[in-house]
Amino acid sequence: MSVLELPSTRAEAWRWADLGALSAAAAMAPVVRTEHEFLDLPGARLLFVDGVLDEAASTLGAVTFGEVAGSDHALGRHARAGWSLRLDSRTAADPVQIVHVATGAENHLAAEIVLADDAVGEVVETFVGAGWANRYTRTTLGRGARLMRSVRLLQPAGFVSLREEADIGEAASLVTTFLGAGGQGSRIDAQLNLTGEGAFAEYGGALLTSDTQAQECAVRVNHAQPNGSSRQVWRAVAAYRSRASLAAAVEVARHAQKTDGEQSLRGLLLHRTATVNLKPELEIFADDVKCAHGATVGELDQRALFYMQSRGIPRSRAQAILTHAFVADVLERIGNETVRAAFEGDADAWLDAAL
Amino acid sequence: MLKIENLHAEIDGKPILKGLSLTVNAGEIHAIMGPNGAGKSTLGYVLGGRPGYEVTEGSITFDGQDLLEMEPHERAAAGVFLGFQYPVEIPGVSNVQFLRESLNAQRGQRDEKPLSGAEFLKLARAEAARLEMDAEMLKRPVNVGFSGGEKKRNEMVQMGIISPKFAILDETDSGLDIDALRIVGDGINRIMRQPDKSVLLITHYQRLLDYVKPDVVHVLADGRITRTGGPELAQQLEREGYAEVAA
Ligand SMILES: Nc1ncnc2c1ncn2[C@@H]1O[C@H](COP(=O)(O)OP(=O)(O)OP(=O)(O)O)[C@@H](O)[C@H]1O
Ligand SMILES: [Mg+2]
Repeated sequence: MSVLELPSTRAEAWRWADLGALSAAAAMAPVVRTEHEFLDLPGARLLFVDGVLDEAASTLGAVTFGEVAGSDHALGRHARAGWSLRLDSRTAADPVQIVHVATGAENHLAAEIVLADDAVGEVVETFVGAGWANRYTRTTLGRGARLMRSVRLLQPAGFVSLREEADIGEAASLVTTFLGAGGQGSRIDAQLNLTGEGAFAEYGGALLTSDTQAQECAVRVNHAQPNGSSRQVWRAVAAYRSRASLAAAVEVARHAQKTDGEQSLRGLLLHRTATVNLKPELEIFADDVKCAHGATVGELDQRALFYMQSRGIPRSRAQAILTHAFVADVLERIGNETVRAAFEGDADAWLDAAL
Repeated sequence: MLKIENLHAEIDGKPILKGLSLTVNAGEIHAIMGPNGAGKSTLGYVLGGRPGYEVTEGSITFDGQDLLEMEPHERAAAGVFLGFQYPVEIPGVSNVQFLRESLNAQRGQRDEKPLSGAEFLKLARAEAARLEMDAEMLKRPVNVGFSGGEKKRNEMVQMGIISPKFAILDETDSGLDIDALRIVGDGINRIMRQPDKSVLLITHYQRLLDYVKPDVVHVLADGRITRTGGPELAQQLEREGYAEVAA
């Protein structure tokens, strides 16, 4: 695909997108394939190299392959075929681990996660390597289904774009946590639809940016039915001349009464030269709803830094501890302890390198 | 142990300390009293190395080393402890993590081996118990939601765990109830009343000095030491006020 087919940054939903970095990633010369270890978890393991399954290194479990119902989204429409995870309530809910390795240039892959009524699933995805990795993931949750998804972007260079579309059925629950802790640019572009009554969506993460990197999320949550709740908790940490942007919107349809929506967007500037953009949006057409939203950008508390130093902690370590605390409440949402520890370790490694 | 000579310091270009000299020997407890705004906390911050507090003249020697050449965390590892007038809240960082990081960072700088989680917890629990602080508070984020008195008591728990050579205690008595004052006073004596340690006790009131008997009392006014005497000076100040005694 040509980068020219993407919308321009004059379009409101793309204003903070770093399309320059995306085209540069797509044009990256081949790099040596990086090795990446799977986490020590039971269940299926899929290794994709430039969007192609490495069968020898993979155990498929319940995962199959085929066409995925297409998206007409600017990013999503370029990925048509890919993996598919379909679970029903009798299937064991072992996590599915997926590692995406990019070796330069561009690669596209689609995915579909379909949980039948009362099914439970867990998916952990990791992006490493260099180049432009573009993913389209379509999620459908039946009544009472529960999906936990954790995605970490650890490419040292290049770009990762994720287009995510989800329909969350009656009393179903989707909890997704992202961590952007690599050197790549990124765009997490999502549309979640709470299509059943009492549906629950938690969709958030931490974007850590450094150097001249730009990462962003652009998420829309649509409450179509009553009694749903959604939480979008995002943290952005920006160092040096980097830019992190968080745009999160909640739409509540006219008859989606008793909706409980929470948006918490917070940015932390580690250097004055960095940028954090925040854009919380509410479009509410029902009258009996509870929607809380907060958006703040700040710097590390100088008083706390000196307090810690006065107790013997070097300044850079004090900065790392305070920054870790800033993103901790997002990563704590990851229910699987092994996954959470890995994500926290990635965040700490980022902090050690950036501070 | 500590020798301050002709110290001048300013904040945002505004002179606060104006030629302060002070010597504290090992084994001594000195009290510093003085009117609001005199520069007492400023002296504490300058000793701790707080950014923005610029020393324009004079010297501070601690155990023969030039304190002003050292980073704040190096001063801590060398044995300087600053008890804050307003202890800082740190959301998201537990007391246990904060203190263990602190102690192990200091130990690391002194080439001592770090304490394990279990060793540290044992030490912290024992110290909290001695200062009659509920051990549950060790798990809570540093000072977040602590009452004024609880924060001050927490400073003393920290001092007990770190066991510094030299402590500047900035109005540690303010905000403490009557029982807490006794407990904290006993704590200061237990932790710091030793031949190789010394204390600079900043206070406005005689009552702390009833528990922690100072060897020397100074009056700090308008950025310098204007009078020095024995414990009787504190009593005289309480009776007659600064205007009479130290003008
Ligand atoms: N950031 C600042 N900018 C300008 N002036 C400051 C700043 N911080 C402190 N000062 C001033 O420095 C002077 C000394 O303050 P300091 O806190 O050292 O007084 P203190 O003797 O501790 O008083 P108290 O007994 O009320 O605690 C005060 O006049 C105060 O207003
Ligand atoms: Mg003061």
